[in-house]
Amino acid sequence: MVQAIEAKALTRVFGNKKGKGPLIALENVDLNVAEGELFGLLGPNGAGKTTFIKILATLLLPSFGEVKVLGHDVVLEAQKIRPRINMVSGGETSGYGLLTVKENLWMFSQFYGIPGKEAKRRIDEMLATFGLEDKANAKVRTISTGQRQKMNVVRGFVTDPDLIFLDEPTLGLDVNASIAIRNYIRHWVKDTTGKTVLLTTHYMAEADFLCDRVAIIDQGRILACDTPANLRRSVRRASIFTLATTPFDGITGLGGLPGVSGFESTTSEGRVEMRFSLEDESVIADIVSFVTARRAKVLSVSKGEPTLEDVFIQLVGRALG
Amino acid sequence: MRDELRTFRYAAWLGWQMEANWTQPWFFLIYTVAKPIAGTLILVVMYLVVQSSVLNDPTFFAYMYVGNAFYMYVAQVLFGIVMVIHEDREHYQTLKQIYIAPISFYTYIIGRATCKIVLTTIAIFITLVFGVQALDLSLDLGQVDWGLLAISMLLGLLCICMIGIALAGISFLTARHGMGINEGIAGMFYLFCGVVFPITVLPGWGQAVGHVIPITYWLEIVRRALLPGMDISSVSGLQDYSSTEIFVLLAVSSALFLVLSIGIFRYADHLARKKGKLDMTTTY
Amino acid sequence: MIDWKLNYRALLGRAYPRIIGASREPSWMLFDIVLPLLGIAAFIYYYRAMGAPEVFTGFVVLGGVMTAFWLNVLWSMATQFYWEKETGNLQLYMLAPMSRMAVLGGMAVGGIFFTTIRAASTFILGFLVFGVQLQVSNLGGLVATFCLTLFALYGMGMMFSSLYMLYGRGAWHLSNLLQEPIYLVSGIYFPVKQLGFWTALTASVIPITLGLDAMRQLMFASPSVQGFLPVEVEALVLAALAVLFLIGARYSLRYMEYLGKREGRLTMRWQ
Repeated sequence: MVQAIEAKALTRVFGNKKGKGPLIALENVDLNVAEGELFGLLGPNGAGKTTFIKILATLLLPSFGEVKVLGHDVVLEAQKIRPRINMVSGGETSGYGLLTVKENLWMFSQFYGIPGKEAKRRIDEMLATFGLEDKANAKVRTISTGQRQKMNVVRGFVTDPDLIFLDEPTLGLDVNASIAIRNYIRHWVKDTTGKTVLLTTHYMAEADFLCDRVAIIDQGRILACDTPANLRRSVRRASIFTLATTPFDGITGLGGLPGVSGFESTTSEGRVEMRFSLEDESVIADIVSFVTARRAKVLSVSKGEPTLEDVFIQLVGRALG
Repeated sequence: MRDELRTFRYAAWLGWQMEANWTQPWFFLIYTVAKPIAGTLILVVMYLVVQSSVLNDPTFFAYMYVGNAFYMYVAQVLFGIVMVIHEDREHYQTLKQIYIAPISFYTYIIGRATCKIVLTTIAIFITLVFGVQALDLSLDLGQVDWGLLAISMLLGLLCICMIGIALAGISFLTARHGMGINEGIAGMFYLFCGVVFPITVLPGWGQAVGHVIPITYWLEIVRRALLPGMDISSVSGLQDYSSTEIFVLLAVSSALFLVLSIGIFRYADHLARKKGKLDMTTTY
Repeated sequence: MIDWKLNYRALLGRAYPRIIGASREPSWMLFDIVLPLLGIAAFIYYYRAMGAPEVFTGFVVLGGVMTAFWLNVLWSMATQFYWEKETGNLQLYMLAPMSRMAVLGGMAVGGIFFTTIRAASTFILGFLVFGVQLQVSNLGGLVATFCLTLFALYGMGMMFSSLYMLYGRGAWHLSNLLQEPIYLVSGIYFPVKQLGFWTALTASVIPITLGLDAMRQLMFASPSVQGFLPVEVEALVLAALAVLFLIGARYSLRYMEYLGKREGRLTMRWQ
């Protein structure tokens, strides 16, 4: 199978910070992404996702290891990679405020040598797809954050890359816009041949919906890499319970109870929502005892199917973000 | 008052960070010194090309040298203030957060400009020392009228800051044209205020403009304070005015500029809010 | 293998915002043309106050014309990568397959439009207001020298811009630092020969030095011109500098990009 991305023992170290020593942003990362795959990369802030993408996008050199993108080495053959890739980041502020949406998109298309007429056709088509046609002639500095992010997404796809890096592409977008973009991404990969996407996101549902495979990264290391279904199955041996109670003291003690492998909680308006990953279902009884001993009332208890978020909590030990 | 002082203090601190934390102290010192000295030397070489020696016309040379040295305040403070607006707005994109904070924006601007004033003072000192040591500038510290110098410096710097505030307001509305604004605005004062040549050389209307701008009187009084042994007024053409009269003219014109500057700032601020320009990006 | 079509399109693409920006933000006409003329006028009056020969007015006007191009090279091209880095455009430029020189060339071409207007305004001011007297001895030579100076100057600017791949504010401050010293050693407003042979020779590596000196010799027939070297020699040196700087720019851009990627500073903001 043709690999779009091949990383072998990839390590990236950033120089010594004053008094803190070198920062190892990526450590011995081995990862392959096949051509035609929609691959997700999940991890908390500072996990190394953007560093990884920058190396693949030829913006950063690896410190050690070998990385190939579309069959070409990122260090020695960057010029062969660039015509075939593109990148979109969440919250991007690229472009020029004085230019219109269309002009900005045209300008970036010229950096890839796309003939004028073809560029115009693609831009018009994509603006219509993303519901931006009425903003085509609006100056970029006048459009909203969400509209700007849509424009960024169009910029990424208008060059028709073989591999696109999407670093939180739906950041700042409303629900409808996010759905439109996800559907477009899915369609772009699945209905055309030879197209690959590497996506990073904080929205678990997005990764679950879109990705053929997902890798979970934390502190520069890949903790797991598999299809979302297999990853969810891997935590099935743990039981997932959701418990709602009135507020009480000593809530952090729940994480340390025997048999609790994952725990997170949120508090709002006189209600505490807790989510547990338990090694055995019977542990729930201990949890309820713990709660009631602290004079809290149990408002609801439910058992759930593991989600990617549960996988994440179990592997990383904490929630995303 | 405490809030104002706190705003001023932290704005000054921020100004210092922006100016200095990009390099090692020794290089920063070179940077602070080399630029003004080079600027001054351009004029010195131009003088020597025509006059061959400083001693041929020491009064004119002193007039030019001191005027150019203190003009650095005008150039650097105005430049610094314009950059505060443009950089905060387009580069760091923090202008809107600072703008809506419960602080006096005037105090913030003056705080940010303070660092420029301090650094420029060092540069001027070095320039004057260089002039005395290397170029036979006739400046005798024992003869300087320190009292007159101090009070005129205070008023002059206040006036420059006021002009800066007007410029800050105008900057809300203008695109970031690189160094153009700085060069342009400073050039206006350079031409009309008798910085390196007496305004009597200008046509009548040019002299009339110069007589309205407080910088003209400020430079005159600084020269008289620093060079009391020289007949500077015969060069500047202001020999008919006593130092007291010059000072009064400085005070009156500064007061007028204060009112004008605040008016310009408030109007520009209103326009910027009306047109939504406070967070515009214009770089191209 | 250079993809000339791609780089040509990229050059046009990057020139476009400059040209359109100038028409959409017309305030540059005041700040970049009208007001700088006041600075030029100040230097003219400075010379006049000293009783300098009238040809020095011409020196200032010519210096003002070339200053427009020098500032375009320094601030609108060389330092532009700094602004692009801060706004997030630089990483998209580095990601794209076009040549970095094509992007810089686009900035230069786009900036030439209002730079030429500024230069022409300065020239006209010199003629109409200050009565500059020209005695052009070789118009073809003058145009050729001017063009060679611009090529070499823009090549130097491209080399300088490579610093911004690695550095941020430091490089910007370096640009700021160099502005006046370069005015001084290149003899913007006076014959560079006045600085002494060795200073003038060292300064000749800056294209504007020999360019101005040659143009003064070709435009003004006055003993005050004091040419440093014969015009033909200066033109040859400028041609050599143009080639060297453009080739040097190619390698320095590549090398600095490599360093920036190695140290992770290529896309680092607020350095």
